[in-house]
Amino acid sequence: MELSEFRAALDRWLDDNAADLAPGDDDRATLDAQMAHLSEVKRRAYDAGWMRWGWPERVGGLGGSNLLRAYLGEALTARNLVEPGIYSMTEVLAPTMIDYARPELAAEMVPRLLRGDETWCQGFSEPGTGSNLGSLACRATRTDDGWLVNGQKVWTSLAQYAERCVLLTRTGTPESAHRGITALFVDMDTPGITVRPIETMHGLAEFSEVFFDDVVVPFDRTLGEEGQGWAVAMDLLPYERSTALWHRGAYLYRHLEQFLADAPPGAVTPAAVGEVFQQLYAFRARSRATQRRLAAGEKLGAETSIDKILLATAEQAVFDLITDGLATDVLLGDDARSVRLRSEALYSRAATIYGGSSEIQRNIVARRLLDLGADR
Amino acid sequence: MDAEERGLFAKSLEHATARHTGAELDAALAELGWRDAFAADPRAAVATLFELQGATATTSGALDVVLADALGPGPASAPGPDGGVGVVLPALGASDPPGRVEGDRLVVRGLGTADLARRSGVLVVAPSADGAIGEPGGLVALVLDPADLDLRTVDGIDPRLGLVTVAADVARSSGTRLDGVAGGAPDWAAAVDAGRRALAHELVGASRAMLELARQHALERVQFGRPIAQFQAIRHKLAESLVAIEAADGALAAAWDDPSPTASAIAKAIAGRSARTVARHAQQVLAGIGFTTEHSLHLYVRRVLVLDRLLGGAGALTLELGDDLLAARSLPAMLPL
Repeated sequence: MELSEFRAALDRWLDDNAADLAPGDDDRATLDAQMAHLSEVKRRAYDAGWMRWGWPERVGGLGGSNLLRAYLGEALTARNLVEPGIYSMTEVLAPTMIDYARPELAAEMVPRLLRGDETWCQGFSEPGTGSNLGSLACRATRTDDGWLVNGQKVWTSLAQYAERCVLLTRTGTPESAHRGITALFVDMDTPGITVRPIETMHGLAEFSEVFFDDVVVPFDRTLGEEGQGWAVAMDLLPYERSTALWHRGAYLYRHLEQFLADAPPGAVTPAAVGEVFQQLYAFRARSRATQRRLAAGEKLGAETSIDKILLATAEQAVFDLITDGLATDVLLGDDARSVRLRSEALYSRAATIYGGSSEIQRNIVARRLLDLGADR
Repeated sequence: MDAEERGLFAKSLEHATARHTGAELDAALAELGWRDAFAADPRAAVATLFELQGATATTSGALDVVLADALGPGPASAPGPDGGVGVVLPALGASDPPGRVEGDRLVVRGLGTADLARRSGVLVVAPSADGAIGEPGGLVALVLDPADLDLRTVDGIDPRLGLVTVAADVARSSGTRLDGVAGGAPDWAAAVDAGRRALAHELVGASRAMLELARQHALERVQFGRPIAQFQAIRHKLAESLVAIEAADGALAAAWDDPSPTASAIAKAIAGRSARTVARHAQQVLAGIGFTTEHSLHLYVRRVLVLDRLLGGAGALTLELGDDLLAARSLPAMLPL
């Protein structure tokens, strides 16, 4: 399927099914409602085939390039049918399963994620492990029954909804750093797992703490080989900074356009509006090239850190502008629309923090793209 | 051109820009057949040459070729002993045509590239306010003899760029009228777009050169017993510089794929702003040595300040874009995948 053909047919389908797909106010009011609505949209899109394009046939896909997935997420986001943050987890976790899980496991599990039957989460960060991923301590020990996992994760998005978790564990000595990490695919209903959602400043408990107490994980749930967890993580991160970011760019376009329609005259300066649009445009131009490189079979790497920096900068610029121009709504409004806008404006503060802070991205640019050597 | 031909051509241009500037570079470009390359593959020819000009802080009359070509078929094909016609640029910071038809007079105030005096003719685009020539309210293009113009070389902040100021108040009849593509008015907007893309490439080239100078210095300069490249404050300035450059580069690639005036204006604005960001960071990293004329940084710092403002500076273009968006209350269609 060519992109142009896909685009035209998908747009038609979205037009025809607009009433069934569109979220009502209730569907957005809470994260529970958003998650339920997301599953509904994914199921409809999967059953109609759209959600399957761009994924390999061995995991229930229909084949075709990643550009089809990029456009699907863009279209769903631009039409305000899904929230990109919760939708795009698929773009981060499905490729990891395809690349590293046993083929039978990937074939069994990935369709459940695509169809919206399941939610998955990504257990990377820990209380003592933020930017320095190589220092993680959540322990997995070999026993006769499988891996025995003990430890804690934090900032785990959507863990309270998740049926599965891509979990990074320490299997080597504490000093083994990035060499002693192993990735596991864990069923979240395994005894010994406790999930505690974290209340955040934007009002949606999107992140959780996850505790592991003597959790048994079968050996055949190992992703890649023992000790290969760092490679799993490093291969996953560029996905987080490619298609998922493309979707987020479409979300920002929608917000900026809505703002232009809503902004009272004189609320913001033309110079501010022009610069924000340029930032968003520059991100989109950059990310477009990234999608195309991915489609051409290139392996993405450190250069996607530039995409992440541009997106995070643009996201905060868009919501700074909205907060300035619609200050009364964002700061004082208690109607449903204002509450939503406030939540999104506040969430934009996290854009330079999650998924590798902008400082970490700059470290990667300095080390890997500018070849400045180690920083000590 | 295929990839291999582009590579070879780029090598030749690299050689030429490393050794020549001004009239000498024009001669080298003529020998290399840059105009033929431009006719065959404008994107590759413009991107390669202008980025090299930026990287080496050299100058040529290639901008005249780019502008003349966009104005219409007449000017582009006009051959001349010294490389064809020149085109009068708007005054610094402006984007409007530099001429004005007043009755039977043609008044010109603008800028030109270094060797404008040696062109076979000089093209002036002017609005035809009263319809004395051309369509009322439309544009006309007149070719003048350079001898009829008051051309003065400006030193200014960047003497090596060799810009000239152009002034004239001459009888309209001293110019030969040239028609644009459709036999009608010259396409000034297309010329501005093409010029902005070329200048944006030059800004990107200069920015990459400044970043490389700062990067080399950071790796070599030792303080507190280690290269300053190991200090995060330095690393982040250099990283931010690369991010700024890639933002401009991406927007510029998009502007070639989407030849709308908005896309070229955005690319030029981002390239101008990025170049000034890179200049600031590179100057800070290079510190004392970068403030001397013993080091080449100052050539680029000077150059980008002027290039940013040719055919509209980042500030003015951004303001104009914001005005348009606020008036339309909507965004241009998203750049397609």
